[in-house]
Amino acid sequence: METDVLIIGAGPSGLTAALETASRGLDVTIVEESFSMGGQFIQQTQLLQSLPSSYQPMRGFELAGLLTKQVEDYSIRCLLGHRVIGFYKDGSVGISDEINVFPLKAKKIIVATGAAENALAFPKWTLPGVMTIGAVQTLINRDFVLPGKHAVILGSSDFAMDVALQLSELGVQIKGIIEKTPSLTARDAEKVEEVRKKGIPVYVNSSIKEARGIGKVEEIDIVHGEQILTVSVDVVCIDGGRSPILDVFYQLGCSFSYQKELGGWIPQYNKSLQTDREDVFLAGNAAGVSSQGVLLTTGMIAGVYVSESLGAISKQEADIETMSLWRELEIMETKLYPDAWKARMQHVENFEHPVLKDQFIS
Amino acid sequence: METSYETIIIGGGVVGSSIAYHLSERKKEGILVLDQKFPLSGTSGSTQAWVWVHNKTPSWYAEFNMYSAELYPYLSKKIGDVEYKRTGGLSPFFNEADREKALLLAEAYKKIGIKIKVLSREEALEKEPSLNPEVAGATYSSIDGNVNPFRLVDMYMRAAKKNGVQYSTYNKVTEIQKLPGKFIVSSRKGTFVCNNLILAGGTWSRELGKLVDISIPVNQLRGQILVTEPLKPFLHYTISGLRQAFNGEVLIGYSMEEEGFNRATTLDVIQETANMAVHYVPQLKKAKVVRAFSGIRAMPEDGFPILGNIPGIENLYVAATHSGVTLSPLIGTLMTELILDGETSIPIDRYSISRFDLAIR
Ligand SMILES: Cc1cc2nc3c(=O)[nH]c(=O)nc-3n(C[C@H](O)[C@H](O)[C@H](O)COP(=O)(O)OP(=O)(O)OC[C@H]3O[C@@H](n4cnc5c(N)ncnc54)[C@H](O)[C@@H]3O)c2cc1C
Repeated sequence: METDVLIIGAGPSGLTAALETASRGLDVTIVEESFSMGGQFIQQTQLLQSLPSSYQPMRGFELAGLLTKQVEDYSIRCLLGHRVIGFYKDGSVGISDEINVFPLKAKKIIVATGAAENALAFPKWTLPGVMTIGAVQTLINRDFVLPGKHAVILGSSDFAMDVALQLSELGVQIKGIIEKTPSLTARDAEKVEEVRKKGIPVYVNSSIKEARGIGKVEEIDIVHGEQILTVSVDVVCIDGGRSPILDVFYQLGCSFSYQKELGGWIPQYNKSLQTDREDVFLAGNAAGVSSQGVLLTTGMIAGVYVSESLGAISKQEADIETMSLWRELEIMETKLYPDAWKARMQHVENFEHPVLKDQFIS
Repeated sequence: METSYETIIIGGGVVGSSIAYHLSERKKEGILVLDQKFPLSGTSGSTQAWVWVHNKTPSWYAEFNMYSAELYPYLSKKIGDVEYKRTGGLSPFFNEADREKALLLAEAYKKIGIKIKVLSREEALEKEPSLNPEVAGATYSSIDGNVNPFRLVDMYMRAAKKNGVQYSTYNKVTEIQKLPGKFIVSSRKGTFVCNNLILAGGTWSRELGKLVDISIPVNQLRGQILVTEPLKPFLHYTISGLRQAFNGEVLIGYSMEEEGFNRATTLDVIQETANMAVHYVPQLKKAKVVRAFSGIRAMPEDGFPILGNIPGIENLYVAATHSGVTLSPLIGTLMTELILDGETSIPIDRYSISRFDLAIR
């Protein structure tokens, strides 16, 4: 099988990248390990305010539906339930349908593999009932299953606020939000206010000492200053932030650099979202964990430059189009995560004008 | 950090760390290990880690490996649990011509005291019921086993540190100066002086040799290894090419490729490896492969260890080898004897670097 552009991952950034390339007449293939497109948007019920100008504010799952519909309108090859599991010596991509493996030759690859949640460990954290906050959100919004009745949340990002509100709307008692730093890390003041109004206790400068329970989590000890509070719970949501999923980049031999604000190790890339492998571009959380709007925009930028690299548009056109996209990206990112934007600029600068040699793992 | 040491070891892999540990057992002070990344970042962290004797040739090399394998039970007592299992080793064969070869090998080994049994098809299947029923037979030796390489290097390191050895990591050695009676070792983080210098740079040995104007002919040979999901314990023996670890994962790998330092994995080899494993143990067909990784073997030009002094440069030593996991207890012991006593309890002349042309090419 052959294709012009292979997009790995059908999350929001993969889909916008697919639209940018397919709309310019390129032959596009998407490979996605799950059986639906839209990625993490599928279980997001909150209203997404900060989106690129080409999108109305809407809820995550609505946007997932819209992008899926748009992609289906083009003749894009969508390999759902398929995974990239490696690469052949001649550079072909190895794709598995879980039974067979077949090679696919792609002129360009856009890696949009997203991010994975980080765990925060404490003694007995492997007890059933302890799960990441993303898993909790998937359970309630996608699978319509309540994870429990009494929950605490470890960590306090915007995402934690969203899920806290969703859980309490469903009648789950939130017995505390536990944050190790002196203040909540969420940026969205309105949401924080809503959480306060619900009377959810917030413990800053605090951590979980240990969990206890027979066969499942039954109680936890919270270290709060000098005190130890024992709280009975059946769910502990871990909000440990997310880190880009890098396996494919490792296999492709890309090099990386560390940007804490963007989720840790990320592949090096330039303003075209092109890695140090000329034929490999990237988009979305894989290019640095950020907000939903930014994910869409990075997909668009990568899509435009891949189109340019395959001769579907001129360099000049590409530069003009992406100039406004980068500007939007800046506005969206500085609004929520100003440090992430700074880190992103530094990251691009480091790649285009390396100061240090040998600073990257590979 | 001190800048002056009795002994500096460059390379903290299984070989360098074993030497550091064994040396520190007898001499507590003045040992420094330098590593360009960290111990286990090299070949020792990407290995099959069999402690393997059987079917190494010629028989004198097998004998050398046997002495090392025999040290393992004592080693575990001294440095702690390294998940060493003396499972016994099985090398299945699938045709009668191979039986002839196996019988010859067994004969040759007998002379040096390594017992190898040539098993019939029935005997092989009785020992390891999961083998392909089409097997023609297998060679078997009870001395073979395997170890957890991560624990092994970590325990060497902990024991060495307890004895006062210092480690400096992310500290690449970039220059070595030979002065009368001492070496000046320049590294990324500083300059150190020492009396004895040991080069244990594994697959990077050639580069290290260049720093002292000596050719250390060690080449790179890539191996790709597959790891399955944890399976219930079902493989009893270490089988050539595959073994089941403590946690139930099966490690599978046979490949050898000349790819320099490129540690990529390729589906070509992964698929070939998987097919081979299924041929040996058909029920692996159902196992899920969860990971593949590759390691770069440190392969001396003629395949045999390079051990001992470097002729013409006093107090400069080299230890570079394939099968470094198997050989590490013995190499650590012998290098310690060489450094402290000037001679070894088991002759290592055969492994001297002087068998090669020392001029840099
Ligand atoms: C796929 C595969 C399977 C294998 N299977 C087995 C097996 O089953 N049994 C067995 O016994 N052996 C096996 N081996 C071989 C065994 O793993 C190696 O022989 C052994 O790990 C070598 O150890 P080492 O300490 O010499 O090398 P390494 O672990 O590579 O250590 C060398 C160290 O030197 C450091 N270094 C290099 N240059 C510098 C410098 N300039 N400055 C500072 N530090 C430097 C490096 O960072 C590195 O940590 C296998 C190898 C591979 C790749």
